[in-house]
Amino acid sequence: MIIRLAWRNIWRNKMRSMVIIASVTAGLFAGMAIMALYKGMMKSRIRTVIDTETGHVQLHAKGFMGDLDPKLFIQGDEKMIAFLSGDKSIKAIAQRTITAGMVSTPNGSSGVSIIGISPVEETNVSGLGKKMREGKMDWPPKTRGILMGKKLAKKLKIAVGEKVVITMTDTADNLISSAYRMQGIYQSANAPLDEVNVYISRKDLQDMLGLSNQVHEIAIVLQDDTLLNHTVQQLAHQYPSLAVESWKEISPETSLMAETVDTLSYIILVIILIALSFGIMNTMMMSILERRHEIGMMMALGMGRSPLLILIMTETFFLTLTGIPIALAIGTTVIEHYAKKGMDLSGMGKEMMESFGFETMIYPDFPSDKIGFIILLVFATALVSSIVPILKSLRLDPVSALQK
Amino acid sequence: MENTVIDTHNISKTYDPTGIPVPAIRNVHMHIAKGEFVALVGPSGSGKTTLLNMIGGLDHPDSGNIIVNGTDITSMQSADLVKFRLHNIGFVFQAFNLIPVLTAKENAEFIMLLQKEKKAKREERIDVLFKQVGLIDKKNIRPAQLSGGQQQRVAVVRALASKPQFVLADEPTANLDSAAAFNLLDMMAKLNKEENMTFIFSTHDQRVIERARRVITLVDGQIVSDTTDHTPLK
Repeated sequence: MIIRLAWRNIWRNKMRSMVIIASVTAGLFAGMAIMALYKGMMKSRIRTVIDTETGHVQLHAKGFMGDLDPKLFIQGDEKMIAFLSGDKSIKAIAQRTITAGMVSTPNGSSGVSIIGISPVEETNVSGLGKKMREGKMDWPPKTRGILMGKKLAKKLKIAVGEKVVITMTDTADNLISSAYRMQGIYQSANAPLDEVNVYISRKDLQDMLGLSNQVHEIAIVLQDDTLLNHTVQQLAHQYPSLAVESWKEISPETSLMAETVDTLSYIILVIILIALSFGIMNTMMMSILERRHEIGMMMALGMGRSPLLILIMTETFFLTLTGIPIALAIGTTVIEHYAKKGMDLSGMGKEMMESFGFETMIYPDFPSDKIGFIILLVFATALVSSIVPILKSLRLDPVSALQK
Repeated sequence: MENTVIDTHNISKTYDPTGIPVPAIRNVHMHIAKGEFVALVGPSGSGKTTLLNMIGGLDHPDSGNIIVNGTDITSMQSADLVKFRLHNIGFVFQAFNLIPVLTAKENAEFIMLLQKEKKAKREERIDVLFKQVGLIDKKNIRPAQLSGGQQQRVAVVRALASKPQFVLADEPTANLDSAAAFNLLDMMAKLNKEENMTFIFSTHDQRVIERARRVITLVDGQIVSDTTDHTPLK
């Protein structure tokens, strides 16, 4: 009876109830849409990190990542490469020789990471070939060519075909410089990296540093993201003298950002629900004030505090929870649509997004893993919203409520 | 008296809403026996509703005791009074006070539902009463579709459904036309006779006073007369 009475009570003023149900629906949809957008952005960012920056796993000599000391190269890498190439869980590997240095042009100079690569390996692991905007990636064996990010090229005001000088310290601590010709300009989704990473032939860099065929970094792309933890553990066990790190350790800011964005989306949802709770509370208060006489009558007839509390709470729950299935239906439809089609956010600050390493085309991802928690939050909202109306109705004096 | 349902001992009540004490009930002694059909009469402000509220456990006297069926309700806590009202007292209000979103039948069984009576028992009792008040064909419609007289009859059924010790009716005919008022009074007199139900009305409606077996007159919160008609019921 109380359930039936509560359901019918919320439809006494249809317009008022519809407005509050619509508000809950809109608020929940907004919360889900924000979560889906953030989840899509972070998935895209993590994909970018894995596919174009770090790979899934990287191997270095211990201590190398601290100051890029060229003397800290990977020992016995040929045997290792043969082993890694035979591992079925590994899709591609790229060997890199890396050092810190400086690029100078007549217009200025900039500190950079000089990365010696093999074009074919690099394209398989980081997709560098696909990022080329001007010039070409492959260099003939006798030409000293350099690939530079668009942002750095713009900063140094240099075009394809022009000369640059790179300076570095070799493994014997000698300062060496060499002239290179701009062979190509690339552009990735991560503008800050484009400003510091320059690529030359791995053989050229090994010669300049005084290395034979040694490398400083082996980047690995796995067949599947789920193989990450197992592979890291396996390689760490296999090569205890090396630092074996997953993308989460190499790019901790991305991992942290994913967690922060997750928390942020919950905070936004909670703020939306707090705002909604005031509307729900107000509606319930109006409803109780309008029914003051009737509630007083029910109390006079012998309705105790418990059934009255259950009645008001049930009304609040109906008012609040009716919006959930509607919001879920709308949310699923809209989010799935944009998950396929994508949302182009380039109009909202392309440069800013790229400066944070984000793609501008986002594919929202429905937060199905968070639905349970969202529903729990809405229940909590209903519960909190019902407190004041319940107290108000329980404090009614039947005699004064019955007087007109 | 052995069959006394209500016994008030020297009860008084004074209101003080504006800082000036206004005595509403003064030293009222009253005994009402099982099956009586009593009218509390008197001009507006004479204390009829206050006395009914106190007998019904909705209001407390400042002094004196009210004994209902042997239980002193003046010393009861609020939660106990709610239970006491639920199981012992039926109320009929001037403004009908039916719940508009419930059907006539749902309104009538409201108290039995609060008492957690079984469905079969509820339906049997409600059907009997609806037949007695001539509303069996209207039990599934909402109050808004009923006339004032019909709504008040549903309110009477609600009050009687749980077989309370007595029914308190505050100006039950005040919002009814003559025909509906007579109809309601006939019905209540019939139920009083058939179910041996005790009815206590507050009223200043002469039609009700003429039908009452016992008339207690209040003036300025005091009983000034208490007369009983011993002629057989019409």
